[in-house]
Amino acid sequence: MRTSRYIPYAIGAVVAVVFPFLSGVYTQQIATTTLLYLALAVTWDMILRSGQLSFGTSGFFGLGSYAAVLLFLRAGIDPLLTIVLGGAFAGVVALLVGLAVLRLRGMYFAIVTLASASIFAVVVRNIPQLTGGPEGMMLPSVIFGGDPGKTYWVALAVGALAVIASELSERSRVRLALTSIRNDERVAKSSGINVFWYLVFVFTLASAIQGIAGGAYAHVYGFVSPEGSFHLNFLLLPLAMALLGGIHTTWGPVIGALALGVLGEYLKLQIPYGHLLVYGGIIVIVTLFLPQGVVGAFRARVRQWQASRGVQ
Amino acid sequence: MTLLRTAAQKRSALVLVSLAILVLVAVWKPYALIEGAQRGGLYALIALPMALILGIVGIINLAHGEFMMLGAYFAYWMFRGAGMDPLVAMIPAIVVFGLLGVVTYTLTIRRALKAPELNQLLLTFGLAMMAAQFANLMWTSQPFKPSLMYVYSSMRLGRLSFGTYAFVYDAAAIVLLVGLLLFLRKTRLGQAALAVGQNPRGAKLVGIDVNRTYLVIFTISIALVGAIGAMFLTRHSVFPSVGSPYTMKSFCLIAMAGIGNLTGIVWGGFALGVAEALVMSFRGYGGWADVVFFAVLVAVIMVRSFRIRRQTA
Repeated sequence: MRTSRYIPYAIGAVVAVVFPFLSGVYTQQIATTTLLYLALAVTWDMILRSGQLSFGTSGFFGLGSYAAVLLFLRAGIDPLLTIVLGGAFAGVVALLVGLAVLRLRGMYFAIVTLASASIFAVVVRNIPQLTGGPEGMMLPSVIFGGDPGKTYWVALAVGALAVIASELSERSRVRLALTSIRNDERVAKSSGINVFWYLVFVFTLASAIQGIAGGAYAHVYGFVSPEGSFHLNFLLLPLAMALLGGIHTTWGPVIGALALGVLGEYLKLQIPYGHLLVYGGIIVIVTLFLPQGVVGAFRARVRQWQASRGVQ
Repeated sequence: MTLLRTAAQKRSALVLVSLAILVLVAVWKPYALIEGAQRGGLYALIALPMALILGIVGIINLAHGEFMMLGAYFAYWMFRGAGMDPLVAMIPAIVVFGLLGVVTYTLTIRRALKAPELNQLLLTFGLAMMAAQFANLMWTSQPFKPSLMYVYSSMRLGRLSFGTYAFVYDAAAIVLLVGLLLFLRKTRLGQAALAVGQNPRGAKLVGIDVNRTYLVIFTISIALVGAIGAMFLTRHSVFPSVGSPYTMKSFCLIAMAGIGNLTGIVWGGFALGVAEALVMSFRGYGGWADVVFFAVLVAVIMVRSFRIRRQTA
């Protein structure tokens, strides 16, 4: 009984790994981008599970991009290693921001993280000796010479890392701590949970993974720029994905990311300018009418149906 | 009483220190003072309506700057289509954005009033994205600006020669501040709004229609920011992402002044405007001016969280 529960996951994992053998180059490219957005969506939701709203996704994504590219260009480190180190750098910055701001939570935290992307972009633009200034930097070659299958596996690894981190935090004490902080911080504190350190830990971990996604993205596309790497899309899309799929779970954002990744590509072809309007609309509609997201609403409907049929 | 007196002493000390800094800047870099005063007027002007919503409805409107952006587009099309001066277009903008405020409130904000704070932030963030992308879809990302001669008016003062038009933002900020304070203190509706802002349940108990007050305040704020958008257009270009930095800066000012302190916003806007202009006046470091607001925001938050820690300890 226990093993059969894992069969769908195993099938999903196998399909995800062998995907490049089953599909064309174009599909693989879409899948690569989707998987990186998936990592952002899942990690954004990880922070949300603690009751904190982070708008910092695009900021830490961009920091990871820049750190990875700089380590590769200036220090000549192996691209795969620079992706990890870029994530570590984003994590350190997130740690400092979290230590400074997470004492005051709610709207102050949300606004400071929202400002973070623009602060990082301003800093990057103003030290041209190091970062190439407003023009950004081109990589001499993209990772693996642009082999679509291998880049897909890199993105898959990043996506899997986000999912595993999220699932581990869901299945350990961290989940209990974060849920209790979200529900009632005072109760959490009086049950002996160190609220502040749990929040800092989750914010740092999630931001580090966002930085890793950024590093992978920079190596896949071969360039960084203040406007491109810190673009609002890296915030807007993950939010829409996670909200659509259903927040406070791992699989909600995953499903949302897969659905919007495919739909987004279609929309991009239909409405080249302004297709992002749809994402803003998704955020508004889901927040107002489907707070549990599509997966949550579907699950609730199924449960209702089962109850009405008397199925156990 | 002693507490009050120390507070008053603190405040007068603060005023003295800031006056001393102003004199210093005026002697050292007079252009930075003038430029900063003009920028600061605009920042304060845009922040005031946002503070009104935050103080009374209790919602951070992350789409605030985007409403201003739409107001600027409105004024631009009135200019192109009907040859209307943007300053005249403020009048139709008030009507149109008032309607937009009513629609936005009834369709979205009203349904999220009881929701957790995070949902409200997400909702207004979604609205901001919709507004910016809508502008992108309709008018592309190309900047637009009407050519107006009167914005280049200038004057000489001793050896200084500077543009005078932008002081209109300072004048407008002060007029708006006085107007809002009179409205909140002298009119029945304003007093009701203040009561709702302090305690919605108590206001309801004494017979104030809370929902209607929220609607009126939200509408007034959006109508104002639409008109401010028209005024903004006289000196600045409009493009889809022009509004979002102003949302951030407005929030910085509100956080710095403290929620409910409208006068403090005008002072804060003035101070930060001068600080920005001062940073810009150093050759080669002008790009760092954008960090000023955020540095102040983080500093304010650090000070507040330090105070909280001291109180709880």
